[in-house]
Amino acid sequence: MTRRARLWLVLLGGAGLAALLAAACLRLPAFGGARHPYGDRAVAAALARRTANTIASVNFDQRAFDTMGEMSILFAAVLGCVVLLRQARDEHRDPPRPAEVAAPVRRYALLTLPVALVTGLYVIAHGQLSPGGGFQGGVVAATSLHLMYLGADYAALERVRPVEAYEITDALSASAYLVLGFAGVLAGAAFLANTLLPLGTFNTLSSGGVVPLLNAAIGMEVACAVVVLLARFLDQAVEIEEESGE
Amino acid sequence: MNGWLLAATAVLAVGLGASLWGVSTGPLGRRVTAQNLSTALLCPGLLLLAQGYDRTSYVDLALLLALLGPVGTLVFARLLADELAGDPPRAWGPTWAAAALGTVVVAVLCAVAGPGRAMVKLLIVGALLVGGNLIASRALSGGFAEVDRG
Amino acid sequence: MADAVIVLTLLAVAGCATAAVVNRDPARQALVLAVLGTVLAVLFTVLQAPDVGLSQLAVGSALTPLLIMLTVRKVRRRSAAPKDGRQ
Repeated sequence: MTRRARLWLVLLGGAGLAALLAAACLRLPAFGGARHPYGDRAVAAALARRTANTIASVNFDQRAFDTMGEMSILFAAVLGCVVLLRQARDEHRDPPRPAEVAAPVRRYALLTLPVALVTGLYVIAHGQLSPGGGFQGGVVAATSLHLMYLGADYAALERVRPVEAYEITDALSASAYLVLGFAGVLAGAAFLANTLLPLGTFNTLSSGGVVPLLNAAIGMEVACAVVVLLARFLDQAVEIEEESGE
Repeated sequence: MNGWLLAATAVLAVGLGASLWGVSTGPLGRRVTAQNLSTALLCPGLLLLAQGYDRTSYVDLALLLALLGPVGTLVFARLLADELAGDPPRAWGPTWAAAALGTVVVAVLCAVAGPGRAMVKLLIVGALLVGGNLIASRALSGGFAEVDRG
Repeated sequence: MADAVIVLTLLAVAGCATAAVVNRDPARQALVLAVLGTVLAVLFTVLQAPDVGLSQLAVGSALTPLLIMLTVRKVRRRSAAPKDGRQ
């Protein structure tokens, strides 16, 4: 295909997309209107299952199957990164020299690490009550560990982060989500149906039936996946050298 | 539109404008400083928005920003240490001004909230925000001078 | 008048995203991207979507800059290695 033909193809496709988008936009409800057909139904369903945060109810109850798909996407993406960024045959490891970080920065990192870890767990645990949930809290918890690298050096991070354990926990928590789903089938309801556990008292930590458990599984999965992902990136950026670079 | 939202809009207008201008123009040192200041200016804006919408759970956003914003600046300070070593950014004027803004906003919101769990959370956000930004500024002006690589 | 803050943050997102594209140096792009992440979180907050805002803050403020800057470091080391030998 010539350059000119490709340009025409792009213009044609772009014009079609623009026309369809414009047509769709003309039929959109007005910004900030009072009519929310989906929102009203989702809120009613969330209140019926005593989940204070409707978003958590949509993610982990009404559409828990979608969340399973998203979890597998993250799992597969991290798996792909682990395979692509492994140590190749013509590379070797060259541990970096210990780094000297200014004392206030080191103290800040060591003080903030536990605070960030607890904040991550708090966001996961309160997913059914307030904004947040497994994904957000998991990312925060995983980021907090890397304050060891920022405030000290890579060797210090490696001491608190045995990658194999995180890889195994990643797989285990992904399967925990599936097991929770199949538990619904065994109990005589449907896959991922929220009928297994008592729904609890509205607006307390143990409300929402299976939602907090699924949140915890996702939180573990995301935290471990991010740690494994960053471990591969850090290995490549800091430790792994090409033989030709010698 | 209540007074809190008006204050939030004013703080956000200044914060968004300043950080956008600083981060997209000028030498690298100024851009990193602007990234650090974006946390310090937008976090009080988020706190005021939470108060303006009367939703205490929105304070979680400010908490996460106060926690992770300085961590992001530390990432840049560490991995750009070589580039920043020649001309370490020393923007203590804007840094202290932003810290003062954060302190004032947290103090006012604490006075409105009264003693209780909400006040403790606000104080944690304020401590993380001000402490984190001062430390991140310190890290930018030579905190990783001895780090050659790794 | 209540929409003023929405218009303001929308404009900031548009400006910041444009700046991220216009800058050509990856390190400076990462800096603009970090600010863009925070600005997007503010936009989601004023649109009353705090869950999405939290996701954006968690990913955009520290994780994405770390991934990008580690990649930049690896690429720079690789291109610098053949010239001055062991770095």
